Amino acid sequence: MTNKSVLSAGRVNPSGEGSPAPASSGRRRRTINTGWTAAAFLLPLLAFYAVYYVYSFVFLGQVSQQRVGLSFVDQIQVGFQNYQLVLTDPIFQRSIINNLIFAAVSIAASLTLGFFIAMMLATGARLNRAMYVIFLLPSLIPLSLFASVFGRMLQDQGGAFNQALQTIGLGALQQDWLASDGTAYAAVFVLLVYLIGLPIMYYRSDVSSVDVAILEASLLDGASTFQIFRLILFPLLRTTHLTVILSVLLGSFRAFDLIFFSTLGAPSGRTGISGTYIYQSALAQDGVGYAAAASVIVLIVALIVSLVQIIVTRRSNR
Amino acid sequence: MKRKFMQPLVVAAVSALAISLLAGCGSSGGVGGQKSAAQSTSGPVTLNYWTWYPDQKTTQTAIDGFEKANPSIKVNLRLYTSVDYQKDLPLALNGGSKLDVVGVQVSAMTNTVKSNLRPVSTYAKDLVPGWKTKLDPKLVKQTQAAASDNVLYDLPMGEVSSPFVFYNASLLKKYDIPVPTTADELAAASKKLEAAGITQPVVEVGDGWWQEEVLFGIIGQTDPTLSDKIFLGKASWNQPAIVKGLADYKSLFDSGAITTSTLSLTGSAPDAAFDTGKAAFLVGGAWESSILSASYRKANDITLSDVGATSFPIVEPNGKPSARSLAEGGLAIPKSSTHVAAAAKFISYMTYGAGVNLWDSNLVYAPAAKVGFAPTSELTTAAAKKGFATVVAVSSAPGSERTSQQDFLNQVEGPTILDVLRGTTTPEAAAAALQTAWTSGRYPHAGN
Repeated sequence: MTNKSVLSAGRVNPSGEGSPAPASSGRRRRTINTGWTAAAFLLPLLAFYAVYYVYSFVFLGQVSQQRVGLSFVDQIQVGFQNYQLVLTDPIFQRSIINNLIFAAVSIAASLTLGFFIAMMLATGARLNRAMYVIFLLPSLIPLSLFASVFGRMLQDQGGAFNQALQTIGLGALQQDWLASDGTAYAAVFVLLVYLIGLPIMYYRSDVSSVDVAILEASLLDGASTFQIFRLILFPLLRTTHLTVILSVLLGSFRAFDLIFFSTLGAPSGRTGISGTYIYQSALAQDGVGYAAAASVIVLIVALIVSLVQIIVTRRSNR
Repeated sequence: MKRKFMQPLVVAAVSALAISLLAGCGSSGGVGGQKSAAQSTSGPVTLNYWTWYPDQKTTQTAIDGFEKANPSIKVNLRLYTSVDYQKDLPLALNGGSKLDVVGVQVSAMTNTVKSNLRPVSTYAKDLVPGWKTKLDPKLVKQTQAAASDNVLYDLPMGEVSSPFVFYNASLLKKYDIPVPTTADELAAASKKLEAAGITQPVVEVGDGWWQEEVLFGIIGQTDPTLSDKIFLGKASWNQPAIVKGLADYKSLFDSGAITTSTLSLTGSAPDAAFDTGKAAFLVGGAWESSILSASYRKANDITLSDVGATSFPIVEPNGKPSARSLAEGGLAIPKSSTHVAAAAKFISYMTYGAGVNLWDSNLVYAPAAKVGFAPTSELTTAAAKKGFATVVAVSSAPGSERTSQQDFLNQVEGPTILDVLRGTTTPEAAAAALQTAWTSGRYPHAGN
């Protein structure tokens, strides 16, 4: 807004020639003063961010070209070897693919189930506040705690799932849920679906801004509830979809605790994500440089994914 | 519009790469590492002692004995679990924590912490004169060789070896089952016990690290030195002996000797199953020998009346009992210690002094000290006595060192062996995958 105002002031007298009208001159001075004031307020914070980013990234970049351990002594310069090793590691490649798969599942659950639940809650159904709390709660408690509890429920011996199966007479279905790829992925998917509380919150808050007249008109035209959800509300909330998709997508790159405390990458590391990969790499002997290289690559991948997603969403919204 | 969206990406990517390039040109000076701290010379001494072993009660008993013999020295103990300790000690030492004595897992930790430890030679004058003659030279040599620079940074408390099988002697007697010496006998025993209602007769920990122990235990029955050759880079993973070893290990699950569900047991779950009589056999390392002791069982509310031990069952017809052994429980003085003389006194006490007989009663380590080690008072039954004698005999037989390449083990080897056991991959494919990863360059200390 400030830049736009400054540009507007410039267009009034672009060459600076002649005598500007007194009113325009006063507006320009006020705008410039406002700009400096805003900059003065922002400067300390910007400086803090600049120091943080520059230090972090330079340190990360420096370490990523070394073979060095947690003690940070006896470094060996290895150039871009760490990057090459990370990029050719099938475990790393799988972890990035897992990031994207888990993000896709979360997005799909948010845009369908999350949207539907939010709309149902917004209709003023009975006990909607209690239901809202129930759906939101998993997203509000610490992920590590939530994932740990879920992990214990999945345990082969003494786990709640297997005990429940035993109790209802389906003991034959008991198994080690984290021993095979299919059930382990399914377990993570279930966990991700549980965490659609925040998307529900986004939808529920934004649906209140929808013009009621549109809904009334659609009702008068004989639209069913499902048609109103699908044909009226879903398109109207597209900016919320964008917010949901972006937050879920980027959140998938920070879902370390979710995986670490639930499956720990089981079976054999195949449900691991980039976060767990970096963590394990950093703990390896002289593995901090390698982990730093993996972090830089993940950062770039996250940027690319975000950008592609923004481009696709903008195009579809045109 | 496209350019508008592409611009931030290009800027971000170029910035990240530029930062990496610039950083590469920068100083490579470390942010950690320490110089040896100056020594405190006045007042009473309090030693900060971090370790993961032995258990709290046993360690505190030994500390109490030390403090009684050295009234001017107090020892503050902080005990970790083994896995947490591997992560927390390097961070603490690098952060400059004021520690005076630290336990070092000889194979798993020496190289990750040695830069913050004092070489033993720098405080040898504070140890009891002639200390070298009081410790098993083989274990001292192994401890020294564990460091990549071949410097002795710690003194070993003892030696551990694996794998072995501990059994509930009362239960076997009840069902008239002989102690199994071969895989076939173990399978027969398991079937008999399952028929009697014991659903999981044999338990072992399903963690990846343990799978290497059993794999090389089986391979060692026919090729005792292959483990040493591989970890010294003198043999490859994709060779027939490894393929055969993986197939042999898998055959134990196929024959029903061990149930696949035991692979989901982690941490202390197998111990709990065995201690409560839910399992008849516990496959574990010599560090499980405490369970042979009647007083240990009583002190820990374990109601098993009689426990024995035997070597891991022979899988191949021409095999012989085998176990890998290595010095363990190293005690070291960090550079940050300001009480080196007192710390050296404590290390002397714990490794070859009077403290040995206070912690060795739990039978976890065979002490490195050449002191009168007499565990027989702890062993009250024939099964326990014979079992412990077997553990000692198999441990001291020629074989490979219990060495691992920890990162490779955690990230590749353990998961790959588990995949074979679960039938996700074949022994041939697993051996090839192990060799590919071993030579990939991602494990710079592999084969060194």
